[in-house]
Amino acid sequence: MEQSVYIAGVGVISGIGNNVAEHLAAFERGEPGMADITLFKSIHQYDRPVAEVKLTDDELIAHTGLSIHNSRTALLSLVAAKEALADAGISNFKELRTGFVSANTVGGMDKSEGFFIDFLADNSKGKLKNVFDHECGSMTETVADQLGISDFMTTISTACSSSANAIFYGARLIKNDILDVVIAGGADALTKFTLNGFNTLMILDKDLCKPFDEHREGLNLGEGAGYVVLVSDKVAQMLKKPVYCTLSGYNNSNDAYHQTASSPDGTGSYLAMKKALKKSGLKPSDIDYINLHGTGTPNNDSAEGTAVKRLFQPDFPPMSSTKSFTGHTLGASGGVEAVFSVLAIRHGLIYPNLRFETQMHEVPFEPETKFQKGKDIKHVMSNSFGFGGNCTSLIFSAV
Amino acid sequence: MSIEKHITSSCIISNNAVVKNGVKLFENPGVDVAGFLLSVYQYFQFNYPKFYKMDSLSKLGWLASEVLLKDSFDKAAYQPEVVGVVLANANSSLDNDLKYTATIKEVPSPSVFVYTLPNIVIGEISIRNNFKGEHAFFIQEQFDTAFIAQQVNYLLDNDILQACLCGWVDILEQDYKAFLFLVEKKKSEESVVFSEDNLKKIFGS
Repeated sequence: MEQSVYIAGVGVISGIGNNVAEHLAAFERGEPGMADITLFKSIHQYDRPVAEVKLTDDELIAHTGLSIHNSRTALLSLVAAKEALADAGISNFKELRTGFVSANTVGGMDKSEGFFIDFLADNSKGKLKNVFDHECGSMTETVADQLGISDFMTTISTACSSSANAIFYGARLIKNDILDVVIAGGADALTKFTLNGFNTLMILDKDLCKPFDEHREGLNLGEGAGYVVLVSDKVAQMLKKPVYCTLSGYNNSNDAYHQTASSPDGTGSYLAMKKALKKSGLKPSDIDYINLHGTGTPNNDSAEGTAVKRLFQPDFPPMSSTKSFTGHTLGASGGVEAVFSVLAIRHGLIYPNLRFETQMHEVPFEPETKFQKGKDIKHVMSNSFGFGGNCTSLIFSAV
Repeated sequence: MSIEKHITSSCIISNNAVVKNGVKLFENPGVDVAGFLLSVYQYFQFNYPKFYKMDSLSKLGWLASEVLLKDSFDKAAYQPEVVGVVLANANSSLDNDLKYTATIKEVPSPSVFVYTLPNIVIGEISIRNNFKGEHAFFIQEQFDTAFIAQQVNYLLDNDILQACLCGWVDILEQDYKAFLFLVEKKKSEESVVFSEDNLKKIFGS
């Protein structure tokens, strides 16, 4: 029989908080993180709300000890990964086989965008030190060094399902006895590249996003990082405090339908959810809460809703999109929402889906709109669906 | 250890002509690239409406793959996971990037934007044929036969793939060239041994 993989620690930073405690407080207050753009100049400064992490690069540098040449992506990554590792409290970490599986999609694009302006005007200008950190893998290496991890590291970049894929890849490394501990998740900083790209696709809402609402008009971009510490059975037994839960199921399936859109019937998302359930040995009725991908775009929510309807009807578990708080943190979202899913089990939480008003015509259910705690939450499904039809579902289960 | 592999089919689309396994199947001189690619689609009576949505790089690569595989490839002999694609070109998706940049002056076009990546052509070929194996797209100044042979050898020698489409698909405005090779582990009547020299020979023809 396959060995179980446990979640021993969590860490998160996003537009609604710089650590786990701040996130829990923001959820309880029902306070979203979106506001005008402050990180860079844009013609969309005031007409495309974004959920920025409320710390400047300088503040993040002071907090992490990294250099001014490091990308914001690496800075965010290090904050959340460090929190997760400290939370796990693994006393003999250095003696174990450890890995860092980290996802991102923009790499050091923020620094490259700064470099590019001077360089285009005069190709003898622009500091090369600001582009050394451009490549996605560079984020992982920088942070792994800071965490003292050298046994194994890799970077996954599969658009918005990146971090969810990183987590289940990490779990497989433990199941196959290659590693004892894996810090897995991802990070992404807000950049002009993603803002303008998503704006070109006409999927950014001019107001705060309304996931799973009939009148939703698009997503808000966010930024952040989220990591879980995955440990083997052996390591779990050595820990001084109880683990949070297990990663009981996971699957990745592909729509192969369009570069950026989901198929109308949500084939990829349906298969991902169904096969993740099969992997966990659970029935749809065992799921106590679904953390939806729920971007707020007409296409995603319709496809995801249709897939949820097909798999779960007639009885639907409570569900919500926490992107109504954090915005869509892209490559970080699977990690950020994995942390929320784990916390839902630990504290019995259901997160509200902010700004929901009208049920979507194609589905017979509504998302939860009220913050609830102290519920009996045993199994949580977390969805992350990416461009290219790359769909991943994770299932976390109480021990 | 390298096992013997064979080029079981080849297709060249260049100079307003389509050549398969050394035999010219179609030519249509005197039309521009867009007109020529459409005429290839119509001549071979392909029925795939998505063709009309593709950028020129995808149209070129997709047409070459259709001609390459037509009557030459036994898809049923392979699991989807063991057929892959390795392509290269010099101009990435620049042909479409320029077209996209032109749309920014008015309203940036989402449908043009989604083709501003070179490897989309691999997606189009894979979706059409249900290929699910490894794939890669490389940017290089010229067709680097040694490099491509190394990549394909690695994938087939290690049983990561059992069949691989490889070659060159490049387009920039009116300048275009597609060379595709089907590489398999079994011989066929017309096959030649997969080697750097044979790649060069066909590419140079």
